[in-house]
Amino acid sequence: MKTNDVIFQTVAKVVFFMIIFFAVHLFFAGHYYPGGGFVGGLLTSGALVLLLLAFDMKTVQRGFPVDFKWLIGIGLLFSIGTAAGSLLFNVPFFTHAYNYFQLPLFGKTSLHTAMLFDLGVYLVVIGVTMTIIQTIGESE
Amino acid sequence: MAFQILLNVFLAFLWMFLQVSFSAHTFIIGYLLGLIVMAGMRRFFKSRFYLHRVWAVIYLFLLFLKELIKANLDVLKLVLRPKLNIRPGIFALETELKSDWEVTLLSNLITLTPGTLVMDISDDNRILYIHTIDIDDVSEAVDSIKNSFEKAIMEVSRG
Repeated sequence: MKTNDVIFQTVAKVVFFMIIFFAVHLFFAGHYYPGGGFVGGLLTSGALVLLLLAFDMKTVQRGFPVDFKWLIGIGLLFSIGTAAGSLLFNVPFFTHAYNYFQLPLFGKTSLHTAMLFDLGVYLVVIGVTMTIIQTIGESE
Repeated sequence: MAFQILLNVFLAFLWMFLQVSFSAHTFIIGYLLGLIVMAGMRRFFKSRFYLHRVWAVIYLFLLFLKELIKANLDVLKLVLRPKLNIRPGIFALETELKSDWEVTLLSNLITLTPGTLVMDISDDNRILYIHTIDIDDVSEAVDSIKNSFEKAIMEVSRG
């Protein structure tokens, strides 16, 4: 019984971009508003799961040829690197530095090393979620 | 279509560089000037001038709003009727639309107007199977969809 999924697939292609944009917005809003790396990562993997539901595993892997197990490692490296970087400046482990910079497009922006830590969390969450879903989906 | 919009944006940027002021304000003025110049040159483009298509999209949206209100009132009458003498049924609608997004748009418009609901699409995207709440005349229902939504969508996608 094969059904015609044309409506679902067309809508999924459009909605995917909206979810990704919302995820990135949440990720950057995390410092002053609700949001952050965890929610952003979950939403990003949610968008990928939507594609997995609308199409199949092979199509999505061709589109995003990422081994999600690597993402976990890279994310953990980001987090531990941000925490260990403070040791180079003779301050305790996990001390964050921040400052205000004048960026060309954004104007006066505060850059904080907690952002890098959050990026690590973001990558780990995507990696873990997608690895779980793909391993469950692939096992016959 | 895409080429014309790109040309219009390019003309707006050209205007910004000529004015040596890089703000959204100048960009909008340049865009409008580009529109006027392109309207004069519309005979030289391969496809239609793209404002026609913008207008077609707006027209489709207004048509959808009109149909939505009308059809909701019809369903309200059905619900409030003391005796329920309706004849539900499923009919097939052969569509002339080709691409995926056109068929999707048509199906969603049919589904969002109450009383009709797209249940399935044939494998070659040619036939929609529509469930309707009160089927007195199949040909009439087919004609009404064909003359309103399908025509408006074709107006949008025409080259």
